Amino acid sequence: MTKHMKDLGGATRRDVLVGSAVAGTGLVVGYSVLPHVTGGAREALAAGNFEPSLFLTMEPSGIATVHITKTEMGQHVGTALAQAVAEELEIDWNDVRVDYPDSHEKWGLMITGGSWSVNWTFDRNSRIGAAARMALVEAGANMLGVPANECSAANSTVTHTSTGQSATYSEIISAGPIDRTFSEDEMKAIELKKFGEYKLVGTSVPALDIPAKINGTARYGIDVFVPNMVYGRIVTWPTRWGAMPKSVDDSAASGIDGYIKTEIIEDPTGVQRGYAIVLAESIWAAEKAADAVSVDWDLGPNASVSTADILGYAKKATADGEGFAWVIDGDTDAGMSNAATVVEAEYETSIGYHGMMEPMNCVAMEQDGVWHLFTACQWSTRCTAMTAEALGVEPANVVHHQQYAGTGFGRRLEPDAMIPAALAAKAAGRPVKLVYTREQDVMFDFHQSLTYQTVKGGINVAGDLDTMVHTVCSAWATKRQAPGFLAESVDKKGKIDPFSTNGSDHWYNVPNQYVRSIENLVGQSATPPGQLRAVAPTWTMWAVESFLDEAAHAVGRDPLEFRTSLLKAVGKNVGTPPNTVGGAERLRNALLVAAGRAGYGVKPLPANTAQGIASVTSQERGSPTWTACVAEVHVDPESGEPTVNKLTVAMDVGTAVNPDGVLAQIQGSAIYGTSRVLYENITMKDGSIEQSNFDTWTPMRINQAPEIDVNIIQNGHYPAGTGEPVVTVVGPAIANAIQAAVGARVRSWPITAEKIKAAMQEA
Amino acid sequence: MAVLNINGVSHVVDAPGDTKLLWVVREHLRLTGTKFGCGIGLCGACTVHLNGEAVRSCQLQLSDAEGATITTIEGLDPKGQHPVQKAWLELQIPQCGYCQSGQMMNAAAFLESNSSPSDAEILDAMQGNICRCSTYARIKQGVRRAAQMMQEA
Ligand code: FES
Ligand code: FES
Repeated sequence: MTKHMKDLGGATRRDVLVGSAVAGTGLVVGYSVLPHVTGGAREALAAGNFEPSLFLTMEPSGIATVHITKTEMGQHVGTALAQAVAEELEIDWNDVRVDYPDSHEKWGLMITGGSWSVNWTFDRNSRIGAAARMALVEAGANMLGVPANECSAANSTVTHTSTGQSATYSEIISAGPIDRTFSEDEMKAIELKKFGEYKLVGTSVPALDIPAKINGTARYGIDVFVPNMVYGRIVTWPTRWGAMPKSVDDSAASGIDGYIKTEIIEDPTGVQRGYAIVLAESIWAAEKAADAVSVDWDLGPNASVSTADILGYAKKATADGEGFAWVIDGDTDAGMSNAATVVEAEYETSIGYHGMMEPMNCVAMEQDGVWHLFTACQWSTRCTAMTAEALGVEPANVVHHQQYAGTGFGRRLEPDAMIPAALAAKAAGRPVKLVYTREQDVMFDFHQSLTYQTVKGGINVAGDLDTMVHTVCSAWATKRQAPGFLAESVDKKGKIDPFSTNGSDHWYNVPNQYVRSIENLVGQSATPPGQLRAVAPTWTMWAVESFLDEAAHAVGRDPLEFRTSLLKAVGKNVGTPPNTVGGAERLRNALLVAAGRAGYGVKPLPANTAQGIASVTSQERGSPTWTACVAEVHVDPESGEPTVNKLTVAMDVGTAVNPDGVLAQIQGSAIYGTSRVLYENITMKDGSIEQSNFDTWTPMRINQAPEIDVNIIQNGHYPAGTGEPVVTVVGPAIANAIQAAVGARVRSWPITAEKIKAAMQEA
Repeated sequence: MAVLNINGVSHVVDAPGDTKLLWVVREHLRLTGTKFGCGIGLCGACTVHLNGEAVRSCQLQLSDAEGATITTIEGLDPKGQHPVQKAWLELQIPQCGYCQSGQMMNAAAFLESNSSPSDAEILDAMQGNICRCSTYARIKQGVRRAAQMMQEA
């Protein structure tokens, strides 16, 4: 897979061109193909030395289309990114459109994940909008015969300030041509608007993707049809990974109307070892035939693995001292030996299923030597390269056509539907539409790894936690997806997966800290790990935030006061602009807002009901979204059944580009996280996932959803990702509330009535 | 050959009688607003109206639907202006949107039978529809808002 890593460097820095080839044909804004343009944008365009649809296109009518190279999967990313462009472009919002282009390499690195989209792209899009505005002002001033520095732009119009003469963007573009090149330095020097000066950023304009989503016209991957296509259906493997079909007996399928054949195909990429794929003229025939055929399998290496084996390996590897250091601060040996109180605990999280509403799917089609893949994908660059490898063609000959995603959560970083669809299309000699059954989507997920962590803390005579030793054992998604992103360990003894460990390097001032990261080799093979929404903080924050409560209780301190006393912007927690400016104080502030809003410590609550608190900095230490939550939970003392009454969330987002969009993300992620810890469980037996559909894997429904109070903190700092942090904060807040309510500490997922009951009896 | 009446139009369908209605609607007739989510009647993404009732199209066969009046999201309102659709737009309910055709079809049928529901009745009526973007808080508001619009109309 390493050969795909060259794609990950991002676009090379080049000049930005604003131009139109011929007068009246419209305006395009993009990078030049070559590092430096000599003849101007117009000449570059005429010579083809220009990628015309990279960022922004404007028609003579004045309509601007912002090209979104991110996956639209519920976060309305296109709207937020278009707002950034439009703010600086000074265009009437009604003149703005978005589109979602194909995977041609001119778009640079295409990846959507980690709540990074707005965070990464806000500054770039603002500058693109500003450059286009400057070019339009210059051209407009020229048209009016006045100096450009006496003109300003607003509402799609350039106006000469003193005389009031004006020209609309439409008039300027129609008159053209426009020809303006911005060097990299010039792009950097553009002075952007600041917080407080925005007209469009910070307003809740309606999301541009919603109208098509209320009348049935929005097209998702599963809705794609191409001429002459057939349906492919994978015959379900007997184990999650490692099974290979040896032979197929399809006599029972031969009578099914529309059945074509069943192909056995090897997968050279190792995503699976191979496939038995049924081909049929209709989806119903494919479905029936896949049930009817009988496949003789080589079960592969994982046929006896169970959840207990994965957990057993984790415990043994941890005890044996496997793994490498991720954090070494101060002297943990001295800290432990000086400690007045030592607290130790083990935390587990279960295997997680993404549970996308739209199952994995792909339509694959070959035309004139070029392969076309139609589906929603969060990582086109990687997925097209791997599909090319499977097909034995050049990556440049595989194009991904982006579709709306019926959720993603990190699942669509994977090429596992593209590859069999393409291989089946090659075998069939016709385009193939391949859709996973829900059962296949559950069982053949790239699951969130089972994790096992130990935390040992030393509390000094003053009652302060000054020492933490933390081990994190999981399967390592990065090792599968992009091994080039594995990081050198702090002790320089080997490589570790930062995306399986981050979050353990928290923002609390604990001077003596050691974190060790351990790969779970059994889990790595039996449950090939993927990235799930908030990634590692899902489990590291679970351990850290549960542990902080346990430590506070051990020395009789209030969990809120215990946390805030550790959150000072000093030393390594001071923070640096732009992403972490303010440091630990911003987390402290979020905690205080959540606590205040929830009436923490002052709200009268009925018996067996209590509030628990937690705070997180997902997704990474370097790009934190400062987030806190107070969970109010009732526990039935007889059954142990927990009911989450209310979640009060406070999130410091810096700048909310679209506040209603941020609110929706927080509301949704609070439920997603609560569902994960209370209701969602995946287990393995005989190498196969035991759950298969919504009867055995049971996410939260509307009648189970708690009340959510959302408090968005804005202070003008750089926009932070908002789709993930709350997923990680609700779990420990709920567990901490349960302990406060009935004295029961549950340290593993899912948090069930049985576990609470058992812990109550222990307490 | 079967004849189906969908959104006021007669469609001739060449498919075996045991074909799931969901696949007929989506894959044969390409009314793709109706979604596949689970295939076992537990998510509601495939909800359509059969003679005015909200039904799970993955649980019906083509032969069950012959002679019935079927409505899908595309035909809920000729202009896409059903009160439920208006409320869904006003409150910006869809995130990914994938579950929302089913949510709206379920809500529209429910409001026909109960024009001023309590919150508890709304939750009970909507619990068969899963939303993995977890838009539940807004769906609850949306059903309330649509009920209000229907009363005002
Ligand atoms: S697809 Fe019919 S209920 Fe889920
Ligand atoms: S809006 Fe995405 S699943 Fe409901």
